[in-house]
Amino acid sequence: MSGSTKQPGRWQVILAVAHRDLLEFVRDRRTLFVTFLMPMAMYPILALASTLGLRTALSDLDARQTPLPLALVLSGPDAPLVAERIAAVFDTADNPGPDWPASVTLAIMPPGEAIQLLEAGRIDGWIALPPQGGGLLDGQETLPLEARLAAAEPPDARPRRHLVALVRAVAEDARRRRIMAAGLPESVLEPVTLVFPNDAAEPAAASMEGVVPTAVAGVLVLLALLTATGGFYPAIDAIAGEKERGTIETLLIVPASTGDIVTGKFLAVFAVTLASLAVNAVSVLLTAVVLLRLLPAGFDLGIDAGEAAACALITLVAFCGLAAVAAAACLAVTSAARSTKEAQNTLTPVILLASGLAGFAVVPGVGGPLVAVLPFAGQVAVARQALSGGSGGALAGLLTLSLISSGVFSWLLLRAAATALADEELLFRGPDSAGGLLSRPAPRPLPTPMQGFAAALVAFATLWYVQGIAPADPALSLPLLQAALLIPLAALVAWQRVDRRDTFRLVWPGSAGRSILGSVLVGSGLFVIGAALMLTIRGTDISPAARNLAERLVPLVFEQPWWVGWLIVVILPAVCEELFFRGWVLAAFAGASPRRGRAVAAVLLQAAAFAAFHLLPERMPQTFALGVVLGWITLTTGSLLPAILAHAAHNAVPLVLLALVADGRDPLLLADGVPGWGVAVAVAALSGGVWLIAHAAAESKPEA
Amino acid sequence: MIEVDTLAKHFRAADGTLVKAVDGVSFSVAAGEIVGLLGANGAGKTTAMRLLATLLAPTSGTARVAGHEIVTDPLGVRRHLGYLSATTGVPDRLTPREVLSFSGRLHGLAADAVAGRVAELVATLGLEAYGDRPCGRLSSGQRQRVSLGRALVHDPPALVLDEPTSALDVVGARDLLDLLERLREEGRAILISTHRLHEIERRCDRFVIVHAGRVVAQGSREECAGTPGGLERAFFAAIAGSGAP
Repeated sequence: MSGSTKQPGRWQVILAVAHRDLLEFVRDRRTLFVTFLMPMAMYPILALASTLGLRTALSDLDARQTPLPLALVLSGPDAPLVAERIAAVFDTADNPGPDWPASVTLAIMPPGEAIQLLEAGRIDGWIALPPQGGGLLDGQETLPLEARLAAAEPPDARPRRHLVALVRAVAEDARRRRIMAAGLPESVLEPVTLVFPNDAAEPAAASMEGVVPTAVAGVLVLLALLTATGGFYPAIDAIAGEKERGTIETLLIVPASTGDIVTGKFLAVFAVTLASLAVNAVSVLLTAVVLLRLLPAGFDLGIDAGEAAACALITLVAFCGLAAVAAAACLAVTSAARSTKEAQNTLTPVILLASGLAGFAVVPGVGGPLVAVLPFAGQVAVARQALSGGSGGALAGLLTLSLISSGVFSWLLLRAAATALADEELLFRGPDSAGGLLSRPAPRPLPTPMQGFAAALVAFATLWYVQGIAPADPALSLPLLQAALLIPLAALVAWQRVDRRDTFRLVWPGSAGRSILGSVLVGSGLFVIGAALMLTIRGTDISPAARNLAERLVPLVFEQPWWVGWLIVVILPAVCEELFFRGWVLAAFAGASPRRGRAVAAVLLQAAAFAAFHLLPERMPQTFALGVVLGWITLTTGSLLPAILAHAAHNAVPLVLLALVADGRDPLLLADGVPGWGVAVAVAALSGGVWLIAHAAAESKPEA
Repeated sequence: MIEVDTLAKHFRAADGTLVKAVDGVSFSVAAGEIVGLLGANGAGKTTAMRLLATLLAPTSGTARVAGHEIVTDPLGVRRHLGYLSATTGVPDRLTPREVLSFSGRLHGLAADAVAGRVAELVATLGLEAYGDRPCGRLSSGQRQRVSLGRALVHDPPALVLDEPTSALDVVGARDLLDLLERLREEGRAILISTHRLHEIERRCDRFVIVHAGRVVAQGSREECAGTPGGLERAFFAAIAGSGAP
């Protein structure tokens, strides 16, 4: 017995864990199948299905555009003349257009025989001329023709189009003859002409150019989804699987920090995710090559090979960041699960959320630096920008932002994973209840993080559906939307039996006067700063949805009694949204007496949910910032009241400004931005408010 | 070698009630000694052992392993402690040799030392016949031997074994306990918990009996197992005399 070993080096532990986990992954056939074989089969299957559909549609289109030979029978006294003219215009036609028949066969017969041939399908059409005849074609009257076409199965519009084109040509010829007979110059028929002397040729009728960006956007979202899925099974196996097999303890008792163990596991999962990305990328490229060969000849995709290679490289670099965030996110989620089943149940919505974010990035009009820093959306946005021919400098900036953001998010997620992995409850305690869905859980002081997450999801879904069916009048729809938030919350509170005073922090804040004044200053200052920033960045270029909301809110203020606007815009949102986000959701994410890391994560998460809840993308940065500040106020003061007041002050500022406009005074908000003095006052209010809250909290603990 | 000093671990149950899983226990295990930690289910044995293995943080009190304090120097404790519990598993898709090799690397053994130590443990624990077979195909007894090898790979002077024989048959349990006696002879301090009192009655040097999170009796083999009725009678008498439910 030697007694002890030396402390292992940090990288010795990290690499040993990564090596060990990788070895386990590559020996698991399910992981290999889902991670590598599924993408290789997925792209060809999807491409084949879409190509076959496209090919069939194009072939059909092609067939429908091929001219047919036309067999016609004419009846009536002027039939010989009309037949002669038809034959003449057909023979002399120059560049007659797509509706022109391939050939024309003409016959003159009595109506009875013509109808028999028509019904037998032996001719394409029969034209009956008027019985009186008399050279109507060369006179100054209109020659009325009646035509019948043979019934075709499947229906084909070409005989009709051919006949119309022929008759138009005959009419044109007759018009020319009549003008000449009247002694007028031929130019009477053609007052204006138009030519394109520099054009080489007319573009192909069925160009694929418009199809490419849509297809590329779809492939990018699929690539993001399948890359993220690459980390799914390895992450579950790496932590939840180890917990289930009882091997996680053997890692947690080695002389190394939990962070190093998580980093080792991250390297292994990241390697698998990267490999999954590589397989996906190769599969996409090969599928594209095969796809090109399957397309009908003559279709121009309008892609330059050199540019395509550069775009593919930028996409791969950006997606390496996506792979890192996906691996870290999968690890963080599975670290908070007690079993593989729990991990699968939790990770599935996370992967769907990632797909949603990736899908958000391909929405037309979405882009820019704010999107570039979003996980899953940023990488897709960068790739989309590259593929749409974005300028080099701007693209490099977006790519750098996206990579930095990926690094930061991965680091934060790994910190969360390390914290969750060392969590005693998650390691050693079983589920709280063995009951079914309808069995009421045991009373507990605070909601769990999962209950916070579930509440946010339920609220988001409820809001989505309610805003779809809510009446247009904001005096009705806005309270309805707040009710959509509050009713599920009330049901949740009643069902979960949490301590309501602790969860919603229903206590009076310490140094109440300063806390309240500080909150009002922070809320009002934040609105003005947010509005100034938004006007600077976006100007008055807002989405139709946001414009619609603004146009509905203004009459609410001016046409209803004053208290209606204050109730609906200020009081209801401040109370309902604070009870929900800074009450339930923040308490669920932060827990009791959280450490700094968990508190920061909880504030950021509830702020993200708060921003998403406001649905309008251009408002999200401002609502996210508001959510962060309100979360900080709640955790700092230990009471929900200051956050409610700050929220109310934030929402009250636009009402006050609208009242100033109504009084005919100079409004603070002008179309060209907020004046400098307004921003200065707002910054001073915000800083003063933060100082008051921080000092009030430092001086006294909240009273029970 | 192992000193436990008024160690306590309290936590809140799902319904908010305070549970005192370990409530101020004190005992020690000297080098070259096997100490049996006895108690009914829920007595606090596993929690106490997890505290010693630094898997849990104590609410109050402390413990030292080879002089390293579990709160202030958990990495030092882990370098000197081998830990094995009834629920400790082995990776299904790795072989016993790979399990031991990775454990050696994770405990800081140099690359050249790992191979020698693995060969030594394979021989000591009798793993030769299945050393290259995936652990998922091994029997419970074979897996437990691999687990013990993993706990011994860094040659720790102290061992904490939580019900190591619970999944083993009579033969497997006897082999493992024989092995522990050899490890004691090498001078290691061994703390073992089990429900099978008769298995350890003649093998432990001392016993610590816990009930409802507290130490209700402790003494030498002679004091506990040498009385009429043996260890079992002493165990029940200690629990009954504790006054705890």
